[in-house]
Amino acid sequence: MRMKLAEKLNDNLSKLKKVLSSDDVTFLDMKVGDTSAVLIFINDLVNKDTLGELVLKPAATVKGKPDFKELFGVFNSPEKKELSTQKDTLEEILSGSAVMIIDSFSTAISFGLKHFEKRAITEPPTSTVIKGPREGFVESLPVNVSLMRRKLKSPDLIFKNLTVGRVSRTPVSICYIRGIADEKLVEKLQKKLDSIDIDAVLDSSYISKFLGEHDISVFKQIGNTEKPDILAAKILEGRVAIFVDGSPIALTVPYILLEDFQSASDYYNSSYSATVARIIRLLSVILALLLPAFFVSSELFHLQLIPLSFLLTIVNSIKGIPLSPSYEMFFTLLIFEILNEASVRMPKYVGMVVSIVGGLVLGETAVNAGIISAPTLMIIALSGICLYTVPELEQTFSVIRILFLIIGGSFGGYGILIVLAMFFVHLITFENYHTPLLAPFSPLVKDDLKDAFYKGFLSEMQSRPESLRNKNKRRIRLMHDKKGD
Amino acid sequence: MKARKAKLIMLAVLAVFMFFFSSDFGLIDVEKTSIITAVAIDKEQSRYVVTAQIAVPEATDTNSENLKAHISGRGSTIGGAIKDLGDLSGWFPKLAFCNLIILSNDMASENVVDVLDYFAKSLRVQDSALVILSEKKASELLELATPLDNISSFALQKILFKNTGFDRDVYPTDIKTFCAGHYSDSHSALMPIVKVLPAGESNKGGSKSSGGESGSGAGSQSQGGSSDSSKESKSTDNLFNAKTTALFKDGVKVGELDEPLTLSFNSLFQSMRGTTFSVDGIKYNGKDTNYLLTIIKSRPKITLKATENKLILDIDLKLYCKTADHNSDYSNAALSLNEPIPDQVKEKAEQTFKANIEELILTEKQTACDFLKIKEKLYRYNHKQYSRYKDNFLSVMDSFVNVTILGQE
Amino acid sequence: MQYELKTRQVCLFLIALMPLTKLFLMPSVLAEHANEDMWISALINCALDFVTLICIIRLCRLANTNVFGIIESAFGKVGAKIFFGLYAVYFLLKAVIPLNEQKDFVVYTLYTLMPILMYFLPFFALSFYFCTKNLRAVGRAADVLWFITLTAFAIIIPLSIANIDPAAILPIGANGVVKITSGSYSVLTWFGDAAYFLFFAGEFKYSKGDGKKIILSYLLSAAILILFLLIFYAAFTSIASRQRFALTEISKYTTVINSIGRFDYLGIFMILFSNLFSLTMPMFITSKILNYIFGFSKKWISPLIAVGTQALLMVAFYRFIFGIENFIMQYCGLIFIIFGNVIPIAVSLLYKKEKVYESAQS
Repeated sequence: MRMKLAEKLNDNLSKLKKVLSSDDVTFLDMKVGDTSAVLIFINDLVNKDTLGELVLKPAATVKGKPDFKELFGVFNSPEKKELSTQKDTLEEILSGSAVMIIDSFSTAISFGLKHFEKRAITEPPTSTVIKGPREGFVESLPVNVSLMRRKLKSPDLIFKNLTVGRVSRTPVSICYIRGIADEKLVEKLQKKLDSIDIDAVLDSSYISKFLGEHDISVFKQIGNTEKPDILAAKILEGRVAIFVDGSPIALTVPYILLEDFQSASDYYNSSYSATVARIIRLLSVILALLLPAFFVSSELFHLQLIPLSFLLTIVNSIKGIPLSPSYEMFFTLLIFEILNEASVRMPKYVGMVVSIVGGLVLGETAVNAGIISAPTLMIIALSGICLYTVPELEQTFSVIRILFLIIGGSFGGYGILIVLAMFFVHLITFENYHTPLLAPFSPLVKDDLKDAFYKGFLSEMQSRPESLRNKNKRRIRLMHDKKGD
Repeated sequence: MKARKAKLIMLAVLAVFMFFFSSDFGLIDVEKTSIITAVAIDKEQSRYVVTAQIAVPEATDTNSENLKAHISGRGSTIGGAIKDLGDLSGWFPKLAFCNLIILSNDMASENVVDVLDYFAKSLRVQDSALVILSEKKASELLELATPLDNISSFALQKILFKNTGFDRDVYPTDIKTFCAGHYSDSHSALMPIVKVLPAGESNKGGSKSSGGESGSGAGSQSQGGSSDSSKESKSTDNLFNAKTTALFKDGVKVGELDEPLTLSFNSLFQSMRGTTFSVDGIKYNGKDTNYLLTIIKSRPKITLKATENKLILDIDLKLYCKTADHNSDYSNAALSLNEPIPDQVKEKAEQTFKANIEELILTEKQTACDFLKIKEKLYRYNHKQYSRYKDNFLSVMDSFVNVTILGQE
Repeated sequence: MQYELKTRQVCLFLIALMPLTKLFLMPSVLAEHANEDMWISALINCALDFVTLICIIRLCRLANTNVFGIIESAFGKVGAKIFFGLYAVYFLLKAVIPLNEQKDFVVYTLYTLMPILMYFLPFFALSFYFCTKNLRAVGRAADVLWFITLTAFAIIIPLSIANIDPAAILPIGANGVVKITSGSYSVLTWFGDAAYFLFFAGEFKYSKGDGKKIILSYLLSAAILILFLLIFYAAFTSIASRQRFALTEISKYTTVINSIGRFDYLGIFMILFSNLFSLTMPMFITSKILNYIFGFSKKWISPLIAVGTQALLMVAFYRFIFGIENFIMQYCGLIFIIFGNVIPIAVSLLYKKEKVYESAQS
């Protein structure tokens, strides 16, 4: 199909009709002056009003037999281009343009008259805020680009467009700020995206699997966001974003673990409350991961870790429970994960019923029936809630939580420490695009600690994070600095 | 390579899962464990009898009988007796929560460290457990019912552990402190003696008083009842007194400090803030008046001066006190409590404390139990003279005692 | 030249890992020999390591290659292989007591009844994994572990101080030179940490003032250790020598513990976590040495040998470990001084090269 278009209209038509045999493709015969032409488009993808106004009306004004240049100038469409190969012609038609093939010309004209139904810009459900911008990305790449352009009105905001997917031919756009992002990183990303050989890219997550540098790691390697304000902040720090048409989630590279502990609202609230919130998130994650495991290991191996009065409560509550403490915790966690999975997948109104039935009825009945004990239920509930303080890491950490529970039930506290140390070794040696996942803690980057678990005042954060290999370090110029200049 | 790595990881996880579900690794979990909160040790014909108070769920229920939670084991060693406990109950005896060890008075005539060493050496027993000497059989003390707590050992701990605000009239000792004293150069140690105050019998010996004969001060606990031990165990009216202290030399009991002496001893070695003592029989307006003083701050200073010729122990005790109560008829009692302590009261209190401390020194000399830690002071602060006096310091030592009662600063 | 470490990481390594292995069995061994002067015995060993470290700092300042390159240029390839082979044996020996005391600590203080080795052997899986990483991982680990270690001390030390007799360390020096030095000699296996620095030389870029930073870090690390030993003796006095696992004993006598339970275990677990890496260090260096000697193509072979040998020793000599520990403490002191101090000092002082940082500036 890389063949050039023929001069004869029928030759071109017969080939295209073979390929575009679907019923929703329209081949509209028409006359452009004295010459025959065919306008080809997919019915539901083209705005027909605009087609009539910008293409058909001007075409009717043509007299005689004009040359191609003259003809091209007749059409008012702002998005028009010449096509010389059959492949390009096909791609344009499939992506929603209308293509006009004219007899005796080996060049076709494409008119960008795409008209997709798209979702309104709403607040993304994964990152809601109390204070701060509420707009989120949508599934349309042009809309997402426009949202970014509205945030950063700079000529240095660059978009590089690519197409990925053999069948889907999905438009993908790399977005970065020239002069801040590392050009080598952009080149590397472009190469990686070019090398992706997949039939279809249906969401940005497809791309992220190819961009990660460690195939079997359980940890996330590519950042993502659904909000233009967050993305703007990220690319201002020197990251590079990737938009995928059809996905409201933009990917960001490089990724560090800390960024998921930072919420957009941290930057809209005071430093004090942001610091407290971040420390709570950290403690919550530690609790979520380790509490069930340590609780079970204490019940099985290290009773001395539990205060006597609490131990007596536990002993009382587990009396008559048919399962051993480790099985009890494991199956309660399993039930929690099932409820979690079900409530996400079910329709909204049914989901609420499931929450009530699962959380209240099932939990209380199980305790009353003596199947599980109240402390176990409480531990799992607490652990489950804690994990949602950092929703971006929920999936990763829920897998690790099960692993820790198994280790705690089998090897006790020392086993947990050893596995924790293994994860630690994995994380400290984990790098993606030359950026350590645990930065700025390991390696220690003193200046970046101002925006780690301690959230410094804005005036403290004058430079961009050193952990990311960015250029142009200066971010804030204070008044007294300007005077100094 | 990556696929192989992933397979290896999956295999490892699978192996751990199988291990987890097999539960076949000699595990002793909370359901197979008896949590021992206290042990009482008696000796019957050269065999140890260890009675354990077990915090099984029954014992924590308010309506249950305390006796249900006791099991006794016998053995020629303490370890053997505890093993016997496990064999009899079918539970693994867990001593990590054992906070109280009761020794019967009979055992004090032999080296008690033979017993306590088991707890001091074992890594699975807390050596922060309190140790007490029971006037009666240790197991009987443990089995007594008391209104203080559902579990008698918890009740005993309540009277032994006294935080700020309570009188420091008990000298609590844990295994570590006892063993540290025993294994020091002086081989001397102390532990409180617990007496049962049977129902109805007033605390006649409870003379925390430093000034008068009677001592019905704040420490009296007992209420009516019988002294019959079999009844005691069923009654819930038993109360305890731990204000006397047993003295041990080489692990053998060599003497006792009665209540006033224990209080005076504590004033030299513990913070006394909040402790009260009574000064009785003061003539005020021609009438006998009794005072209760509260110690705000105590400043003991024990100095040992050793020269080639002399060994002098100098004890200087300053007690900052205020009036807590008196039985004279002031029109404004609240105001009178903030008034300076009358000189007669001060003088009498000073005399009593001084006499008590001098008696402590005398007791030390008589029993050879170095509970005043004089040998330690000789070693630490007069090391050059240590070899000269280490064996005869009690006989050659002169002592000076000075007690000053001061008002609020 | 590509550097694996940063000066900051070298300093933090000292703070994070150096005092840790010395907190378990060593205090009671010291107390057995030197009683209240145990801290002086430890101080002597610290001073010895300090002198060694100062000499190695000189080497770090001058070296433009790592220790393998330095020894190779001095003794040739074969000589260097023999030299490092001996060091591999030294590190193997150095790890024996800390590993076994850790095993005993874990088994006796954390678990009740179980196949003893089963709960400790997974440690070797971690060691193997860590040993497959390069020296950069050690630096990165130190970047985080210093915080964990110091937090643990911040929990344990205040809890311990509540119940001590500070005068127990008096009179100073009363036990005499013989007892004090015999204490120092018996615990040499826990010291000689400066030998690690021999392997760090040339692996980080030395800049002016780095020596001071390293020295200050070592002094802080030694101060923490000495403070711990002082508190330990002040807490246990005459029964200090009976406290086989000082760490778990020292902080449990406070009223806080009585009321809220063993809160101090939080600090103990933190120490245990950092100590996992401290215990792995001898095996880590051994695996690097083996890789140098045999030049394995696969990066997992030398860690497997280094860690496997240590694990095998633990399993095979399980029943004789008490005797082996005594033998090491009584008779191997000389070996530890030679490899931990004498050779590093000699290598550092005999090394003559152009000052790298000066030439770089010029």
